[in-house]
Amino acid sequence: MTETFRRWAGTADYIADESLIAAVNVAVALGRPLLVKGEPGTGKTVLARAVAEGLGLPLHTWHVKSTTRAVDGLYVYDAVARLQDSRFGDRDVRDIEQYIRLGPLGRAFDATERSVVLIDEIDKADLEFPNDLLHELDAMRFVIAETGREIVAQQRPIVIITSNAEKELPDAFLRRCVFHFIEFPDEARLNDICAVHHPDVDEKLLAAALRRFLELRSVRDLRKKPSTSELVDWLSGLRLAGIAPEKLEKSLPFLGVLIKDEGDVRRAERTQSGAGGEGADPSGKRWGRWQ
Amino acid sequence: MFIGFHSMLRSAGLKVGLGEWLAVVEALDKEQVQPSMADLYRVARALVCRDEGDYDRYDQAFAAYFEGTPLPPELDARLRDWLSAPIERPPLTDEELAELQRYDLDELRRLYEERLAEQDERHDGGDKWVGTGGKSPFGQGGQHPSGMRVGEGAQSRGSAVAGARKRRFREYRSDRVLDTRAIAVALRRLRRLERQSRRFELDIDATIRATARNGGDIEVAMRPERRNQARVVLLLDTGGSMEPHTRAVEAFFSALKNGGGLREVVTYHFHNCVYDKLFTDVARFDYKPIEDVLRSVPPHTHLVVVGDAWMAPYELFSPGGSIEIVTSDHTPGIERLEQLANAFDRHVWLNPIGDRYWQADTIAAVGELFPMFPMTVDGIVEAVSVLLGTAKRKEGRRRASLWQDVAQPRAGRYR
Repeated sequence: MTETFRRWAGTADYIADESLIAAVNVAVALGRPLLVKGEPGTGKTVLARAVAEGLGLPLHTWHVKSTTRAVDGLYVYDAVARLQDSRFGDRDVRDIEQYIRLGPLGRAFDATERSVVLIDEIDKADLEFPNDLLHELDAMRFVIAETGREIVAQQRPIVIITSNAEKELPDAFLRRCVFHFIEFPDEARLNDICAVHHPDVDEKLLAAALRRFLELRSVRDLRKKPSTSELVDWLSGLRLAGIAPEKLEKSLPFLGVLIKDEGDVRRAERTQSGAGGEGADPSGKRWGRWQ
Repeated sequence: MFIGFHSMLRSAGLKVGLGEWLAVVEALDKEQVQPSMADLYRVARALVCRDEGDYDRYDQAFAAYFEGTPLPPELDARLRDWLSAPIERPPLTDEELAELQRYDLDELRRLYEERLAEQDERHDGGDKWVGTGGKSPFGQGGQHPSGMRVGEGAQSRGSAVAGARKRRFREYRSDRVLDTRAIAVALRRLRRLERQSRRFELDIDATIRATARNGGDIEVAMRPERRNQARVVLLLDTGGSMEPHTRAVEAFFSALKNGGGLREVVTYHFHNCVYDKLFTDVARFDYKPIEDVLRSVPPHTHLVVVGDAWMAPYELFSPGGSIEIVTSDHTPGIERLEQLANAFDRHVWLNPIGDRYWQADTIAAVGELFPMFPMTVDGIVEAVSVLLGTAKRKEGRRRASLWQDVAQPRAGRYR
């Protein structure tokens, strides 16, 4: 069975912890879909690209929207094109096959090579969406109703599904998945992640930014805590503007990159002034400390 | 392999079937190397847990099996005993709540350990010991504003477990999302599809007819898409006594807004009872006069009231009974409620308080006007049937509950 077992261990620019690596490899070995949950910005979507890259496989991406139907991922029959062709006689309309376009999952099944399929934000779709996919993901085959052709996966694709927990997924679906919850990284790992994205960053700046970032995350009752990806963006901003590390001690430039909710800005500010002691803002300007 | 671990997982409350367990064995088998303890932990966790809420239970079971930490420590057996079948108490008033001393988390933990060391029997409805339904900060079903919930598997910080594992996932566990899916599925049934949309879709039958008439040259016919026309007016009680039920109300609200696929959900807020103004924001600043709302009820509109209907009798029955000055109204609340019930022919009341208290004065009176259902998934399913006119009995759960209280007090059938 060794040939089915290819070990993935993260990539140079995707830092994965041991349990995520284990979950990916279990999903690969068992040919089951991997369901990934976690705070927004913890790298759920990027994971699929990293897995594809790490294993040297092609990636098919399927971004789910509220109007997406399960069958869209398998194939789409372009009836209108066929109708037009029948009027103008451009192509041989008896050949229905040429009007069938395979979706991301269909392409992955049809290919001779193994591939990675990302089903992104499955919880955006209709409640019944996961149930409609159950059979295809299980059996890895489907029939194109219009032509009667059956597409059977020659190589079970590695299916990675992300969810933001907007809707709950049905039990029957969960039972068939390998589940992993991406925890928010601890300080050391955050440090590694930043180092990957900003290899030549000034260490003092990184340390100061990290400290302020973690402080912000610890503010109670934030509606949306700043995420890893926002931290990376923030660092880019700080570097582009050439902000000195010492300046971070007193102010938080580009706060809008980290916190996007008006109420959160106020909450963060309150904690900030509480921690900073009284009289921290003699100018009396409300936003003075933040810019 | 590790059959004992499997049963340990099950006794920790994880739904691990044989299928899941065989998958664990298969995955380890495919690794082809002697798995380390850490590998086993990770591989089994990926296959056994379905939700981050399961991680904590998994950690406990793992510690229990491999580190010999007993899963149900003696302390917890005691606690379970004290906390099983919690008694229910009518909600405290705002004033009573204000009187209770609040603690910060560290203080709370210290006191908790102290109580555990001293306590040796069950206490219900009190204000000091770990128990149920009281004003004490510890236990279940209590009403202390800064209290901590003990029990329901969330095991104590007792010394036996303390060192075994860090249990980082405890937070996710207490944060478990309420099952909005089941609620959304129930609400779906309110759907009423009609062709009234401004978006058009191809009408195949009409296209074929028109094309045939046209001598075979294609003539495309369009028609409006089918859209859900069902509307809901939601009245939410945002009074102080509703505070303990915030999470249930939030779950219902988000299911109604996002999952139900309704055409329109209009929300109004009120405090304890409905008077002449219906508030359009939670803070009860902006409002719409109730007459305006009553006058313009669009067709196919369902009225859903969410509230505990628990208030002082004068708030419901006396003219000017409102406890807030802004809503001083010469019409008693009960008459306002009647006007609402008359204006919307489909109306239900969802009550987050357990139905054993529904014979209390104000709740019973409101229950005469509105079919009342508990704010549980089952209750919501029944309420939807009433809204659709497909229910077997229309009067709600009130009478059944009266009988039940006489026949089997504290049986807890609806838990």
